[in-house]
Amino acid sequence: MVNPIYIIILSLITGFLLSIFDKIGRKLSMTIFYGVLSFNLFVMAIWFYRLLVVDVTPLLINTAGFVAPISINLRMGLQEAFILLFSNFIALFAAIYLFKKFKKAKISSLVLYLILSMGVNGLVMTRDLFNIFVFLEIVSISTFALITLEKNLKSLSAGFKYMLAGGVVSTFFLLGVIFVYYFSGNLNLDFINTGTFNNLGMIAVFMMSLGIFIELKPFPANGWALDVYEATDSGIVSVIAVVNSAAIFYVFYKIMPMIPNNLLQLLGYAGLLTFVLSSLMGLKQENAKRLLGYSSIGQMGLLISAVVFTTNAPEFISILIVGGFLVNHLLAKAGLFWITGIVKKEKIADWGVLNHSKPLLILFGLLLFALASLPPFPGFWAKWEFIRWLIMEKMTVVAVLVLIGSLCEIAFLFRWFNLAVKKEDLQESQIETSHSMNLPVAFLAGVLAVIPVIIMKYFYQIDLIHLAPVIALIVIFIIEIIPSKIKGILSLITLGTYGYYLYPLLSGLQLFFAVIFIIGGGIILISTFNRKGLNQNFYGLLLMMILSLGNLLIAKGYLEFFLNWEFMTISSYLLFLRGKNARNSSFVYLIFSIAGAYLLMLGFAFAPAVSSDMVLLKSITQIQLPLVSIILMSLGFLIKSGSLGVHIWVPDAYAEAEDDVTALIAGILSKVGILGFFVLAVSAISHKPDIDIFYWIGWIGVLSTIIGAFLAVFQEDMKRLLAYSSMSQIGYIVASVAMLSHLGLVTALYLSFNHLLFKGLIFLAIAGVIYRTKTRNMYEMGGLIKKMPISYISVLIGIIAVSGVPPLSGFGSKWLLYSAFIEKGWYLQSGVLFFASAVSFLYLYRLIHSVFLGQLKYEHQNVKEAPIWFILPQLIFIIALMTISTFPNLIIQPLNAIVGNYIDSSIVIDGYKVTSSLGYWNGNQVMMVTMGVFMVPLLLLLLLIGKTQKVKQFNIVFAAERPESPQTTHVAHNMYAHYKKVLGGWGKPRILSFWNGVAEWTHSLGNLFRQFYTGNGQTYILHIILYMVVLYIILGV
Amino acid sequence: MIFSLILGFILLILGISMMLTRNNLIKIVIGFSIMDTGIHLIIVSIGYIRNRTAPIIDAAVNIKDATSQVVDPIPSALVLTAIVIGLAVTAVMLSFIVEMYKKTKSLSIDDYQELKW
Repeated sequence: MVNPIYIIILSLITGFLLSIFDKIGRKLSMTIFYGVLSFNLFVMAIWFYRLLVVDVTPLLINTAGFVAPISINLRMGLQEAFILLFSNFIALFAAIYLFKKFKKAKISSLVLYLILSMGVNGLVMTRDLFNIFVFLEIVSISTFALITLEKNLKSLSAGFKYMLAGGVVSTFFLLGVIFVYYFSGNLNLDFINTGTFNNLGMIAVFMMSLGIFIELKPFPANGWALDVYEATDSGIVSVIAVVNSAAIFYVFYKIMPMIPNNLLQLLGYAGLLTFVLSSLMGLKQENAKRLLGYSSIGQMGLLISAVVFTTNAPEFISILIVGGFLVNHLLAKAGLFWITGIVKKEKIADWGVLNHSKPLLILFGLLLFALASLPPFPGFWAKWEFIRWLIMEKMTVVAVLVLIGSLCEIAFLFRWFNLAVKKEDLQESQIETSHSMNLPVAFLAGVLAVIPVIIMKYFYQIDLIHLAPVIALIVIFIIEIIPSKIKGILSLITLGTYGYYLYPLLSGLQLFFAVIFIIGGGIILISTFNRKGLNQNFYGLLLMMILSLGNLLIAKGYLEFFLNWEFMTISSYLLFLRGKNARNSSFVYLIFSIAGAYLLMLGFAFAPAVSSDMVLLKSITQIQLPLVSIILMSLGFLIKSGSLGVHIWVPDAYAEAEDDVTALIAGILSKVGILGFFVLAVSAISHKPDIDIFYWIGWIGVLSTIIGAFLAVFQEDMKRLLAYSSMSQIGYIVASVAMLSHLGLVTALYLSFNHLLFKGLIFLAIAGVIYRTKTRNMYEMGGLIKKMPISYISVLIGIIAVSGVPPLSGFGSKWLLYSAFIEKGWYLQSGVLFFASAVSFLYLYRLIHSVFLGQLKYEHQNVKEAPIWFILPQLIFIIALMTISTFPNLIIQPLNAIVGNYIDSSIVIDGYKVTSSLGYWNGNQVMMVTMGVFMVPLLLLLLLIGKTQKVKQFNIVFAAERPESPQTTHVAHNMYAHYKKVLGGWGKPRILSFWNGVAEWTHSLGNLFRQFYTGNGQTYILHIILYMVVLYIILGV
Repeated sequence: MIFSLILGFILLILGISMMLTRNNLIKIVIGFSIMDTGIHLIIVSIGYIRNRTAPIIDAAVNIKDATSQVVDPIPSALVLTAIVIGLAVTAVMLSFIVEMYKKTKSLSIDDYQELKW
């Protein structure tokens, strides 16, 4: 077995000889250079394998023929091997990335690089304090010198500041080390016992720890690091930010046992503060590399707090947390820094050029998702366990701060991502790149993608069906060159197979939602057959979303559920992002969704354990959830269902998504929040929470209904109108669930199913209209009834179902709804809902009137009926609607049975007749009577009148409207202006202003904090010294 | 020896204050050098034990009683390394200043604040 000390020996020897070899030729010196780096990686890979799999004992390497503590010794254990495996890996690939530069650079750069890599290896392995100082300085000096690989003013001045700061910091470290030696008589980590130190000795330990700690860039003593990140060449900076940082982090880990607990805790909080504030400051960043710099220092802060706060955790958890965060940071950050070097755009606003190179864009996205700790990347698991651990240890504040920091980080990362994906005015400039630059990035991404499988399989034993959403995405991505329709058919087949696989696993409630998600999704999917072109990445995302929704139903335990919840969030966000002008709307959606997911994560962390061999949807109903858990989860579900207060993502996201996607979102995605609520409610029925929280949730639902309806009334854009209508309709469902009564739950499920049918129907009809007329503004349309009769009938049936007039199923749902509310005794709520229903007539009327009735616009003379692919799913929905309207027992009976599992039935179903305590409803009879009332006069009229004259468009008296008057003077424009006037101050968008305020304040706060970084080297030194003083004072207090 | 220890700390503080207050890049580096010298002095002085001789085995020191006759040799060994490292850092700093001066013809640290926030 190769002794790791040969890494140091070989690097030193080659370092000295390289310039001689270079005289023979650069090819030779380069070969040797890369050979040594590969050798290092190879040695570490073997050691890692042996220590992990073969389970050999860690190796202690003594030097100079003496045993420690007389001599310096090195250690090669699993942790060292782990760190060095990744460090050497990045070092090798960064060197490959720098291949072209190294080919031209002076040979000294290669020598320095080798020495740097040697220093990192030594730094990690050595057990001697003074030796740590020496290796630290070797690493630092070679880094300083490598910064000048690009000799411009920026990199020089940044490097100089770095040297000043580094010089001061290492002086303090040395001072600390020397006094630690003075008090302990020893320099070897394994032989120093700081527990016996007096006060002066503690000061020495303090200095030494702070020396290392400040090298890890805590706020605000880190201005120098940011400048270096911004100014240095991408290849070198990836080494500084990743390889050096990892090694120094490990040094911190090594000296941790020496640090007294109160100081350690303080450092943990300092790390946390760094994470939160650097994420906040990152929000104001427009320079790509500096933004990554903020992210880097933030990640290091997070790592420190993770390692400090998990010292008591079981090994399994601490490895996953610290290792996960570390690997995530190493790989993702290095890859992103390399991409900045390929793109060569300083401003993130210019990153639209990435669109010229799709593979690079995808790699960029992948690394960004990893950095944001989204699943399935390592950071996701680390964060999950970290939050759970913190909550278990009663460190709630820390957990909340970690999540706030993460949210800010996601905000600035995805603002960047959106800018890269959606830059409208593409510049001419192309991306110049080479294989030696692309391959390292691709390789990193590959490694990042493999690690999750290892984690899922070996750490958690998660069923790999939960990777199905990602696999679907990847498979469709691979076959993306085949025509869109074939991919669509393949997707339908996949859904069918998946449904077939799922069916035996499901029962009751799960089955009901599976029908909504999978069958509903499948029907709406038909409409996407109308798409032209290749539709790259579309079907993959679609499948990912539907499969993750389906997986939610079979997820066991909190983690599997949350994993799929995040998959669902990611895929829906990416689907939204496909819309033409969806940059901002999808961003807002993502931020709200992630915030909701974090609330859910916290809620799960507070909840007691559930049995792991039962589906979460069932097991969670059997435990007593603490109040805080219910509140947090409810907030998460409220955000997802777009309830009042957190609804502001709804209209823009719906409106700007592609039209068939909107149908999908409204039809099925909006139900996932309901699923969550339903389960929470069932749990609360058998385990009453201390406070009647559901009463208030009920009110939120009721208010969402009325306010959503009012907002819908004043929209010109028909998709926004329908979006607000969805908000209003979902409000009904939330309110019904919140009643916690049998009838309420039945109503909720019935409404959910209905909502799928009529919203899917209307959105698809509207999609057809938009497809033909190329506009979403209702006042630009009119008279389309003659041109698009089937779409008209769809919308007509849809709005009859929405409004709840007989004979369609909407009437049944309203009957159930009011019965439930009156039974429960929520009279006021029921009155408000009734009023909301009346308001909904206004917007529904507006929809059908402005689009289909009235005068046909001149430019729509040649409009045709919507394409068959839009019509087909509409017909299916119409048939389904008519069927359940005529034979309501088809749906009421199973729903009654589902809810009967949880709570005793309060209704009697006899044939078509449903009897509650208040009365009865016979849907079949209602249908017959209404049809009779409709048909008899119709037939009579047809018989009696006989000859009718068809009136052409212009063969009328133009009462209030002229066909060619400007659209804005038409009644359809600003239709309900008078109601708006009546509403007065109530019509102002207060909630939107509130959230805008939140965003503005957050950004201003970030801007405030970054004023610390004045750019002056002396100020940075002052920060370092003051930082130590302040920390010491806090420690003394 | 307590005197050299105090002197070392005085030099250390002097060096730091010079780094913080001088505007000229060269003077800042000189401050760094003074700080470095201070710490070297500190290192040497903590190894010193009164009334003992240099840690060299020769006629004056026999092997058996060496531990009670000589000063602690380790700090002296360490300081050599520290001096070399300090020298290297100073050299790199000065070479940076040369390059920076070539670009802007200025030695004032205030002229190198372009990167910030």
